[in-house]
Amino acid sequence: MSKFKALFAIVLLVLFVASPVRAAQDTIRIGAAFALTGSIAVYGEGFRKCVDLAVDEINAKGGIKGKKIQIVYEDNKSTPKDCVTAVRKLITVDKVPVLFGPAGSSNFMAAAPVAQESKAVMVSAQGTAEKLTQAGPFIFRIIPSNAKQGQRLAKLAFDMGYKKLPVMYVNNDWGLDLKDGFVESFKKMGGVVTDIIPFDEKKTDYRTELLRVNRGNPAAIVNLTYINEGAVQFKQAYEMGIKTQWLCGSAARAPKMVELAGKAAEGVIGTYPSVPQDTKQYKAFKDAYRKKYGDDKIPIFGDYNYDMVYLVAKAIEKGGYTAEGIRKALPAVAKGYKGVTGDKTFDAKRGMLNADMGLWTVKDGKIIDYKK
Amino acid sequence: MDILLQSVVNGILAGCIYALFAMGLTLIYGVLNFVNFAHGELIMWGAYFLYLFVSEPFSLPLWVAVAPALLCTVCLGMAMDFAVFRPLRKADRLTLLIAAMGLSFLLRNAAQFFWGAEVRTYGLEITRGFRFLGLSLTANQILIIGVTVICVIGVYLLFFRTSLGKSMRAVSDNLDLARVVGINARWSIRAAWVVSALLAGTGGILMALDTNLNPEMGVINLVKAFAATLIGGVGNLWGALLGGLLIGLAENLSVLVISPGYKDAVAFAIMVGILLTRPYIVTGKRMD
Repeated sequence: MSKFKALFAIVLLVLFVASPVRAAQDTIRIGAAFALTGSIAVYGEGFRKCVDLAVDEINAKGGIKGKKIQIVYEDNKSTPKDCVTAVRKLITVDKVPVLFGPAGSSNFMAAAPVAQESKAVMVSAQGTAEKLTQAGPFIFRIIPSNAKQGQRLAKLAFDMGYKKLPVMYVNNDWGLDLKDGFVESFKKMGGVVTDIIPFDEKKTDYRTELLRVNRGNPAAIVNLTYINEGAVQFKQAYEMGIKTQWLCGSAARAPKMVELAGKAAEGVIGTYPSVPQDTKQYKAFKDAYRKKYGDDKIPIFGDYNYDMVYLVAKAIEKGGYTAEGIRKALPAVAKGYKGVTGDKTFDAKRGMLNADMGLWTVKDGKIIDYKK
Repeated sequence: MDILLQSVVNGILAGCIYALFAMGLTLIYGVLNFVNFAHGELIMWGAYFLYLFVSEPFSLPLWVAVAPALLCTVCLGMAMDFAVFRPLRKADRLTLLIAAMGLSFLLRNAAQFFWGAEVRTYGLEITRGFRFLGLSLTANQILIIGVTVICVIGVYLLFFRTSLGKSMRAVSDNLDLARVVGINARWSIRAAWVVSALLAGTGGILMALDTNLNPEMGVINLVKAFAATLIGGVGNLWGALLGGLLIGLAENLSVLVISPGYKDAVAFAIMVGILLTRPYIVTGKRMD
């Protein structure tokens, strides 16, 4: 009997020594509830590349106080339900005190209360809905909100002389929030919105939606669309012979969208939380990206993800590897921090205090900054 | 008026694709008496097989690649039956339903594994549509209508002008009775899989030609095909055709009057409405 007990003890000991919890003490583990499969995996794969890039750089320089960073990726399957599952798993099983939240405002907002209740810090590098951080003090956003972008878009339309136009938007939290931001500002400036048309994600056929939005042949149409949806819409609009000035938001500003839509995307103009690309930070980031991945097609919001890793690493270094420590340290390290995406100082709502809004357009198959 | 007419045309186009999917789905239901939830993956794989043959290392011209792509889709359909559904031939419907759903996940994730989740296209040049009578139609859309008509005629000829078709109809009516009178049920079932996979692959390719490809394209359209099947009376080929057209038309026309956010809801509202009030609309007999 005692032999069995001894054996049992040995087995327990081996299990304990070999368990990942033990191994984790040598590394700093950060969770990432990313869309690696499902409808917005096209974004998730790009985020992952940029997160990995930043992690490799920090680790190459010795990590955080000698400990290497390890990202624990969890696939959120692009649905709000699976986002909650992924975040819960990262917090309870992997026991990470801090995690990078899912993309897509709807997805993030579904998972935010879980992180908040479990007292784990969750950061978003791409959720732009105004309400994103309202779940509580553990939730942060390092990308400007839609309200600011909506204002800029309204000003753009006005400056270009379009005072009456219809709006179409992707029917999710991001689209709705940005649409509200735009419509409110546009009306305040004296503009008239002739029609408001939500459309579903993931459709392959938008012809009738386009037909309706083009009723009366408006000179310009605001289309707050995603990559895939935008590609299909611009292509179909081109085929249908719709001639209008498309005005878009930030989610369509992706090389992938232009690649898919081809010449149909020529001349599209949009707003985006701008990232001045002539700073030394941005150039260094671009060089590093090219070195690692062999091209300089920086994925959309990849730069924000890159900054997010550095900010969180700094917060861990300053506040320690606990959720409470990171939460307190994050605003302090971010204050005045000049990342690839500019000034990362937080405002009172844990969003971005300073937000530059830039303009983009598509010319000769490339996305460039729009200048009047 | 132009807008109304164009919406009707758009509706018919969408309806053609739904009809192709629904006919394949309903055929398998008719012969084997279960809903193949992995039918959506046949659609998607059909489109991806074509993508496979037009890209490296095959680099076949698009028109040439259609034949091997469809052949592969048929093989996939047969393989599905051989590996999963045939061993479960005597199983109850729930088991088959769950098996089909599992297969659907497996095939979808396999596609995602090979090609990634991102959207792809065949890289065709974008062209302006032809215009006549104030309508706009692209070459692809004319192709969609043409191929659908050919498929429907082909299915008609197979079912009503060949002995294989006759035996398939017999098996569909009553498998046991067909066996008793000496019909080779095994061949009829195989033929049903071939036709179902061909229709799915053709529809998938047409849709991808017109728009683009992603691993989710099957699931999304399966739901519509399923609705079309229900509207037309499950197991009824012509019902599926009509159901597909009806859904395509209804959802496109609805966009003109209500918010496009409810486009999908329209299809389901019709489906539920018909199921509740006249389930015998096409079959001529009550479903229950």
